[in-house]
Amino acid sequence: MNRKIFRSSFFIAVFVLMASIFMILSVLFNFFENQLQNELKDEMNYLSHAVENEGINFFENFDSKKKRITLMDINGQVIFDNRINAEKLDNHLNREEIEEAIKNDYGISIRYSDTFMEKTIYYAKKLDTGNILRISATQYTIFSILLDLLRPLAIVLIIAFSLSLFLSSKISKSIIKPINDIDLNNPENNIIYEELSPLLGKIAEQKRTINEQLKEAVKKQEQFRLITENMREGFLIIDKNATLLTYNTSALKLLEIDSAKESSVLMLNRTKDFREVIEKSLDGKHSESIMTQGEHSYNLIANPVFEDNSVIGAVIVIIDITEIVKREDLRREFTANVSHELKTPLTSISGFAELMKTGEVSSETVVDFSMSIYNEAQRLITLVNDIIKISELDEKSFEYDREDVELLSLSKEIIKRLRSEIDKKNISVNITGKPVLVWGVKKILDEMLYNLFDNAIKYNKENGSIVIITSYDNERAKIIVKDTGIGIPISHQKRVFERFYRVDKSHSKKIGGTGLGLAIVKHAAIYHNADITLKSVVGKETEITILF
Amino acid sequence: MRNRFNEQLLRLNNELITMGALCEEAIGNAAKCLTDNDSAFKQNVYDTDKQIDQKERDIETLCMRLLLHQQPVAKDLRTISSALEIISNMERIGDQASDITEILEKSDNADIGSKVHISDMSEAAIKMVKDSIESFVKNDMVLAYSVIKYDNVVDDLFDKVKNELIDFIEEKNNNVTAMIDLLMIAKYFERIGDHAQNIAEWVIYSVTGKHAYED
Repeated sequence: MNRKIFRSSFFIAVFVLMASIFMILSVLFNFFENQLQNELKDEMNYLSHAVENEGINFFENFDSKKKRITLMDINGQVIFDNRINAEKLDNHLNREEIEEAIKNDYGISIRYSDTFMEKTIYYAKKLDTGNILRISATQYTIFSILLDLLRPLAIVLIIAFSLSLFLSSKISKSIIKPINDIDLNNPENNIIYEELSPLLGKIAEQKRTINEQLKEAVKKQEQFRLITENMREGFLIIDKNATLLTYNTSALKLLEIDSAKESSVLMLNRTKDFREVIEKSLDGKHSESIMTQGEHSYNLIANPVFEDNSVIGAVIVIIDITEIVKREDLRREFTANVSHELKTPLTSISGFAELMKTGEVSSETVVDFSMSIYNEAQRLITLVNDIIKISELDEKSFEYDREDVELLSLSKEIIKRLRSEIDKKNISVNITGKPVLVWGVKKILDEMLYNLFDNAIKYNKENGSIVIITSYDNERAKIIVKDTGIGIPISHQKRVFERFYRVDKSHSKKIGGTGLGLAIVKHAAIYHNADITLKSVVGKETEITILF
Repeated sequence: MRNRFNEQLLRLNNELITMGALCEEAIGNAAKCLTDNDSAFKQNVYDTDKQIDQKERDIETLCMRLLLHQQPVAKDLRTISSALEIISNMERIGDQASDITEILEKSDNADIGSKVHISDMSEAAIKMVKDSIESFVKNDMVLAYSVIKYDNVVDDLFDKVKNELIDFIEEKNNNVTAMIDLLMIAKYFERIGDHAQNIAEWVIYSVTGKHAYED
């Protein structure tokens, strides 16, 4: 813009200068020509009188330096010429001004030199004597004047050029400067040119709109970020080339990745399930799949994103379902265990009954069989009772009255009940400690300790020992049950409190029990907000501590 | 034009990762066949091998198209030429995984297999393949160099397995066919290690423009 303003003002200045020089010259020239013609006319009048009165002799005393005077007869023959010898001149009859003078008494003509540098004005008059007098004067043409003026003109032009150069650059700068100085952050505060105010107004308006939209966009983005960042589910957005566009930290955590960049989503994970889900969603189909990675299970849900009926990307949600899968597995295992535990005694009962049904069994054997059937039925009853107990504890649907229960005496009482079992294995039992009180439900605590002691006996060696200690630990009642039994391997220690979980599955029948003992202990402890700790050395001892 | 080119390069990258993942699956399943004689795994290896072959053709076509239409230079050219090398190595890994499965299908080596270090070998080979693909995916030069170094481990394990098998053969009362089969399998794992090493080398070349052995 600066350059354009400068250039145009410069050219205008130059053009005006040239044009004015030319116009002034041409006006002046016309003025001089007219003056010359008048001069010639005056001189002619004077000369014609003189020649008419004095004849040719007049010229002898008269000499005009500036003008050429020619006298010729009516036939065009030159009689006198003050510049050139008259005899050398040819007939002038055919000259324009002469022809005109013969016709009209006066004649004028202008002739240019061959180079157009000079022009001559001829003025002729028919005298009363019949001769023709002609006066001519030579004048420089406009070209020759221009040519003569070339140098001064050039100097003037150069001065004018540099002046206009300087001025136009100054002017253009002064025009541009305020435009350059416009504060675009506050377009409306600039009142420099009236003409610019609509433009600046528009800019200000658009700026406001942009700012508002930007604010809105930032707000939305922030909302989106807050939502996705606080999701426990992983969240990925990819484009149609499977390039990762957005992700949340949960996604990285679930996929066990430190950082992600904007490149292929397969960089995050390339397992078959993940790939297939991505592929399907980019094909425009909703897809779901369960991906297992190490110990974790994830549910992948991918939805294609459409625009104008074509897929432009996909949204993938990753949900950690490890817990659900684990629970599902436990449930399945529990169901299998329950059915197995229920089925085993039933199969025996059914088998014995089938044999007895034939009637071919001897009476002693019938007694034997009945004994077995009775035992199995008892086992079933115990089992069902245990299941009921544990589901009661599970549901917490019942509300017993709580009371102060004294653990030392309760333990002694339970041991008394278990005496026959203890004697069978010849186990020594040592109950020590002081009486401790627990605010709880006696029935449940009884059940819990019974199962604990029962286990300590069942899994004990012949001639083993059991130590039961009651005490207070930081005002919390504590009971420790130590046995010299077979122990529990570390790998199983976590799971022995699960229902029907057996360390040694093959010997469950020999030892008896329902597999629910420790599960009942655990649930009872949870019911009383007590902590259970288990310490065990395989083949040597097991120590269970319950801290109320 | 450049946009389209970038898009195609992205596709190439995706396809390469997919093919790499398929290789990992193929060799992983082949190794499972070694320890666990399940026909589902076997079928899986064959299917994966077929997919790998298809992917190789797809990627090759894509690379050719890129070379012809875009006439890439500098890094882009290296990426594409390395891709061509990488896929032929991946394809060999797929083939060898399928060869291992084929041998396992015919021979019974359950008892001897557990006595030699063949499962260590398969683990080492799987690790190499996994790491070489990982180095490609993440452009991880350190990992790529570690793959190249790890090839020695696989080579040493091969010698170990070979010597163990020789000892068994010398005992004479063993099933020699099964042992020869195991030797073949060991050799295949060793070759897979070599291909994984090649992949790592081409990854290094594609990123740095230098071959690994130039350093």
